[in-house]
Amino acid sequence: MTKRTILDTSGKCCPMPIVELNRAMGRLAAGDELEVLATDPGTRTDIPAWCERTGNALLETSSMEGGFRYVLRKK
Amino acid sequence: MQSMAIVVRDDSYDKLLTPFAFAYLQASEGCDVDMLFVNWAVRALTEEGASAIRIQGDHADQDAWVREQVAKAGLPAEIPDLIRALKATGKVNFYACSLAASIFGVNEDNLLPEASGIVGASWFVNEKAAQADHCQYF
Repeated sequence: MTKRTILDTSGKCCPMPIVELNRAMGRLAAGDELEVLATDPGTRTDIPAWCERTGNALLETSSMEGGFRYVLRKK
Repeated sequence: MQSMAIVVRDDSYDKLLTPFAFAYLQASEGCDVDMLFVNWAVRALTEEGASAIRIQGDHADQDAWVREQVAKAGLPAEIPDLIRALKATGKVNFYACSLAASIFGVNEDNLLPEASGIVGASWFVNEKAAQADHCQYF
């Protein structure tokens, strides 16, 4: 069964969303999902690029009121 | 990217934030980061110097406000705490340039324990910067 963890970086700005994303992904097992909530507009470029660079899957991206939501799957 | 070298020369609080933020980002991805502090910035590698760092010049009166914004962003707002956080990643090395150390009063006795030592610029340029995947200068 897929395990999903939520990482709420709301209110934080670069570099912390990516720093915390790296930490959180490091704690997950292959196949686990991480749902990231963010308000930093820099994550719109940083998180897709991070996924591309690291080979982790970006399953969903969406905007929500006041922020952004990403769902990643660990490779 | 496996390694990055950064040379830091300014010791104003706001001008230190970017190299530290970039180092934090790369270290969090497992990248080895080597930082050489030259000129006035070498004083950031002493307890007294790191604690005394302020915004200078035209924006000096906004020092407290900027620190509040940095804390809100999630970063340690004080330079000594930021240096400790970077060191705790296990991926960042801080070096004091020997020339700068000599000029600006930094020695082995007042160097922060987080610093890896006082080194020659030639060593850093050839063994760290030239070998790194990417170099940045601030």
